[in-house]
Amino acid sequence: MSNSRRDALRQIAIALTATGTLSAQAAQHVHSAAAADTKGGKYTPKVFTAHEWSTITKLSEIVVPADDHSGSAVDAGAPQFVDLLCSQNTALAEIFTGGIAWFDAEMRKRAGKVFLDATPREQSAMLDEIVAAERTVRELNTESGLYARAPQYKGFAGYTVKPGTDLAPGVQFFDWARRLIVDAYFTSPIGIKDVGYIGNLAVSKYEVPKAAIDYAYNRSPFKVVG
Amino acid sequence: MAQIQRSPEIYDVVVVGSGAGGGTSVRVLTEHGLKCALLEAGPMLDVNKEFKEHEWPHDVGHRGAEDGGAAYFGKGKPFGYFSTTSGGWELDGEPYTVGEGSEFRWFRSRIIGGRTNHYGRMSFRFSPYDFQPYSKDGLGWDWPLTYDEIAPYYDKAEKFVGVTGSNHNDLPSAPNGQFLKPPQPKVHEMLIKSSCDKLGIICIPNRRAIVTEPMKGRIPCHYCGQCGRGCRTASAYSSSQVEIFPAMKSGRLKVFDNAMVREVTTDGNGKATGVIYIDKTTRREKHIRAKAVILAASSCESSRILLNSKTKDFPNGVANGSGVVGRFLMDTVGFGLSGYVPALEGMPKYNTDGFGGAHLYMPWWLWDKHNKLDFPRGYHIEIGGGYGMPGIGSFQGAARRAGYGKGIKEIARKEYGASIGFAGRGEMIPNVHSYCEIDKGVVDKWGIPVLKFHFKWSDYEWKQARHMEKTFADIITTMGGRVTGLSAAQREADGISTPGTIIHEVGTTRMGVKPTESALNKYCQAHEVKNLFVVDGGFFVSNPDKNPTLTINAFAWRSADYLAEEMRKGNV
Repeated sequence: MSNSRRDALRQIAIALTATGTLSAQAAQHVHSAAAADTKGGKYTPKVFTAHEWSTITKLSEIVVPADDHSGSAVDAGAPQFVDLLCSQNTALAEIFTGGIAWFDAEMRKRAGKVFLDATPREQSAMLDEIVAAERTVRELNTESGLYARAPQYKGFAGYTVKPGTDLAPGVQFFDWARRLIVDAYFTSPIGIKDVGYIGNLAVSKYEVPKAAIDYAYNRSPFKVVG
Repeated sequence: MAQIQRSPEIYDVVVVGSGAGGGTSVRVLTEHGLKCALLEAGPMLDVNKEFKEHEWPHDVGHRGAEDGGAAYFGKGKPFGYFSTTSGGWELDGEPYTVGEGSEFRWFRSRIIGGRTNHYGRMSFRFSPYDFQPYSKDGLGWDWPLTYDEIAPYYDKAEKFVGVTGSNHNDLPSAPNGQFLKPPQPKVHEMLIKSSCDKLGIICIPNRRAIVTEPMKGRIPCHYCGQCGRGCRTASAYSSSQVEIFPAMKSGRLKVFDNAMVREVTTDGNGKATGVIYIDKTTRREKHIRAKAVILAASSCESSRILLNSKTKDFPNGVANGSGVVGRFLMDTVGFGLSGYVPALEGMPKYNTDGFGGAHLYMPWWLWDKHNKLDFPRGYHIEIGGGYGMPGIGSFQGAARRAGYGKGIKEIARKEYGASIGFAGRGEMIPNVHSYCEIDKGVVDKWGIPVLKFHFKWSDYEWKQARHMEKTFADIITTMGGRVTGLSAAQREADGISTPGTIIHEVGTTRMGVKPTESALNKYCQAHEVKNLFVVDGGFFVSNPDKNPTLTINAFAWRSADYLAEEMRKGNV
């Protein structure tokens, strides 16, 4: 744990012991300390070649793009997250290097160029096919997995249909890429702010705002309380 | 062969295990002026190192996925990187086996404080009817004491541990207690209560071991909701911070960590003389001698020690003339269902962390309606929901539904905080098919024979789980929500928790009046060995739907008072 966060926690402890209450500034200090901890300099990839790094960065932009409200997965540090985990796990690194190579080979077949050099239209056409194939595979997997686990369907083969797609390696890789990119986005300060999580604080009294209570009750089958 | 190293000192009491039972024992015994040795199979707890309270996922490079993304491969910590679970379902070099046709998972903590560093802090005193279950419905056995005998110790334990809650005219399933002020309910909990009111289900403030006002050097809860990460301010109770660390300051407690106990030693005259343990750091076998022995290593681990302590006088293991040690193993019946509540979509955001876990819960509400139900015992309901801190996996559902692109953010924003969850925690009837025994063919890396588990849920438990399922679905739909949990076919596989996974395994050294049917008397004292006690969940005769920790606190306290008095009188 960083010193700044430890100091912040100590301040909370002191503030609460002394007065039993906690100022908003002291709580805010936890936020600022945490934010300062995560500031970094320029990043050099640990495992990926320049081309692989650019491809992961491109995929991060496509999977979670910026919009009017918030930044992209690249802004949230997704490529660095992928690189770090891959640098610690050869099996995971091979999923990514192999997957990028497959993406490039597939795009060469389709458009005569690697994935990175394809137009946005070409890229999304390929990803749309992968997502569609994934849905088929996923439904089948869910169904077969489910029936395999349920004792009364033991030996029942009626639902096992072959996926019948050549895109399986792409589906597998894209699932991994998206999983890591999306997690990196929503666990970043940008993603946390995007969904509006406002906890991880130290407060002396727990209070629920009336506006939230009224909002939910007005939309519920119940009469507003209090 | 090297001689076993004997402790030069003879302690008044040696206590094995540092969770709720062991921690309470050493605290109370040292207060009585007795010299204690405390043995723990894991290391000393370093709060600054172990407790990750207030860390953000982006404070660590792996964001909580752990090194190399271990969490993605099912190899991360059992309850996530930020939790303070030291131990887990599998421990390197310390296996257990499971009998054919059975399923059982055994969670073991290996650190000072044990599971109390991270447990849910649900603190429900048993009801009067919980001590006489056999008299009520003819199943299982009655306890050898009544509620009135233990109630003063529930009062003491609640006052010492610090438990939130409220009194409701001695509700049969949730008796009055000594409670601290509970926090205000969150919005989804208010809606759930309104739904329960319509359905005739009781919904009241939660009873959790968290101080909401200053108490004996513990500062009040600061509502970060991260009790499972370990509480640096000890506002949430843990045996390590609240019992053991203060007891160490008394000068009467010596802690031996990384001490893996193998057996209880006896003197040939029916008395325990101490315990033999393996010092994990040197792999040397050592003997600690004491005038009395308290086992609090967790129900199954204590049973293992007793069963492995075979002598000429105790051919079935120490204190096991009855043959019940290891028998009538019980876990809690668990079933969960989640729902989506459109009324919560787009609600003005607020901090739902609270005191971790829910602010309300539903105690059993049909205690007098069992003649109309197809199962004999009750359950309580725990609630989940709110805007949790985003973590690894939080928005994968949104990601998969959207595929890729802006839709992922849109779904995440819309649905964040609109899901709720229910977990039923029900009473199991003890049965002869559920037990643990020594696996004669397998030893752990310390050379100690391991446990083999056998377990079966009966129809009573399955029917209770189906009642939970219907009830949860009713609560969800009554508040205008839709069930998002299991599909019909999945229920066949996941319709009830895997045995052991609620981590309420109790009952393997049960107490009773007759030495032929029980290992312990009502003071947790072995019938056959007067200076040997077992104060973890092993003494449970039944496993009511109330989570076991507070009852362990209360009985361990009573047992320690009794032992101190018996030693003073010269009876032990």
